[in-house]
Amino acid sequence: MTEPMNRALLPAGLRDVLPGKAAFEAAVVQSLLGCFSAHGYDRVKPPLLEFEESLLAGAGTDLVAQTFRVMDPVTQRMMGMRADMTVQVARIAATRLAREPRPLRLSYAGDVLRVKGSQLRPDRQFIQAGLELIGPDTAEADAEVIRIAAEALSRIGVPQVCVDLTLPPLAPLILGAAGLSDAEKRAARHALDHKDAAEVAALPASVAPVLGRLLAVCGPFDAAFPMLEAIDLPPAAAAGRDRLAAVAARLRALAPEIALSLDAVENRGFEYHTGVCFTFFAPGWRNHLGRGGRYGGLAGQEPAAGASLYLHSLIGILPKPAPAARVLVPLSEVSRACLEALQAQGFVTVAAVAAAADWAAEAQRLGCTHFLKDGHPCPVVG
Amino acid sequence: MSASERTILALPKGRILDEAMPLVRAAGIEPEPDFDDPKSRKLRFSTNLPHLEIIRVRSFDVATFVAFGAAHIGICGNDVLMEFDYPDIYAPLDLDIGHCHLAVAAPVDTLAEDHPSRWSHIRVATKYPSLTQKHFAARGVQAECVKLNGAMELAPNLGLCRRIVDLVSTGSTLKANGLVEVERVCDVTSRLIFHRPSFKTRSAEMQGWLTRFKEATDARAS
Repeated sequence: MTEPMNRALLPAGLRDVLPGKAAFEAAVVQSLLGCFSAHGYDRVKPPLLEFEESLLAGAGTDLVAQTFRVMDPVTQRMMGMRADMTVQVARIAATRLAREPRPLRLSYAGDVLRVKGSQLRPDRQFIQAGLELIGPDTAEADAEVIRIAAEALSRIGVPQVCVDLTLPPLAPLILGAAGLSDAEKRAARHALDHKDAAEVAALPASVAPVLGRLLAVCGPFDAAFPMLEAIDLPPAAAAGRDRLAAVAARLRALAPEIALSLDAVENRGFEYHTGVCFTFFAPGWRNHLGRGGRYGGLAGQEPAAGASLYLHSLIGILPKPAPAARVLVPLSEVSRACLEALQAQGFVTVAAVAAAADWAAEAQRLGCTHFLKDGHPCPVVG
Repeated sequence: MSASERTILALPKGRILDEAMPLVRAAGIEPEPDFDDPKSRKLRFSTNLPHLEIIRVRSFDVATFVAFGAAHIGICGNDVLMEFDYPDIYAPLDLDIGHCHLAVAAPVDTLAEDHPSRWSHIRVATKYPSLTQKHFAARGVQAECVKLNGAMELAPNLGLCRRIVDLVSTGSTLKANGLVEVERVCDVTSRLIFHRPSFKTRSAEMQGWLTRFKEATDARAS
């Protein structure tokens, strides 16, 4: 017989969000969505489950290993639980909203589920909130997505937003032009991802010098960009570099408070992106807060830019709001008018549902800050 | 000084430390005297720089401290980096110290009847289960790893398994235990590593350390 299980035990990476934190989380999501909506991004709400063919197509391909699947007993087809909402929003834009005028501005927030958490963040379920700008392939569109996501982050209390810009297609274009074997490309990718200068130096001589120089393009934007400009790039890569400069200039003009940095070879998680990408950081915080970039634009796909913010990275480090004053209303005093009046004063009301001998003690036991006495809220001492 | 402004440098205990300290000092970091006192039980050491502290931990833990951002800079071998493959570690500089390699070894007398090219499933004792598994998977061999934390060379002789994957520097430990190297897994040197988000958000300071260590490494090589 198996050991009896403690029923409080949850599967790895899943958790109960308890009072206080749950409300805070909802308020943060609301505030992010409010910021997106103020800039004209309309909320959409895709379902939790979809047929795996549509969920894992295109940009969804890199989520294959991260997606929980169940069989639909009705159609006998495989369904996937969303591991990322951007794929769903792109599907909505390409199908049901195909006839809407472009640029199409959409926002979303919801839980996503992943088969495995990462080594550093074991969560398998977390909230993703974001915005997508579908249509124009311009530097202004790239910059708008970054600017609004950064504004949303500062609105919820992130003191300084750092945006690390990158150009994921850059290294593949260079590797492709040099005609490397697949194994050599994989080795190059791994070396670049870990900024391993020794591994880069050991790559074939056709790419090692230029990749070595690219590796050094990392740091504050104004210091790093001239280094990128000095490198002789294939034409497609040079066009990407010009776009990067235009996006940075636009951000400087519209949101000078954002600290911009540049990393020419950052690629992880951006495998399906086709243009300027970015990661949000904040000084002293240990994880990135969100990311996004330009995707589509190839083989009949519509160009789009989007940003996603991850609540599990944010919630633990945001300043907590002060708890509201809570007043216990004794049985005899409970009336609709009385409760409404207290709530209008900003109190959270807790109406008694059973008699108590000492209302002050009862209020303290229930974690209330006040109790109602002769029609007036009295502070609980203690 | 707030925690967010302080910089923590994680150094590995043991063999690599002796080779690393000249570089650390050449980069302008001088730890407090307790650091060199073998009797001291301290784990954290102040330095001549008010915002920089040193912690001394096992080399496997250097990678973990840095990956989680508990330390910002570290020195550890690429054997450890490959074993964990943490996404949030950058290893931009090969310090050219701690040279050795990771190898598969087996008892001398098993080689004749058991050539490595014929292996399909093997049991291996190692400190590096993940790296070992990946290495063998890449050449189509299923490896069942037995995790040991030291004295790997004992395992074949006492019948725990027939092969080990371990660090080899001179090969004398293998020889003394009747083992012979049958396959080289990878070369190992120590790297200067950084916590990825810190490298982005405090890039001026982190780039500064990278430059100083690079100069120290170059000066030593010339």
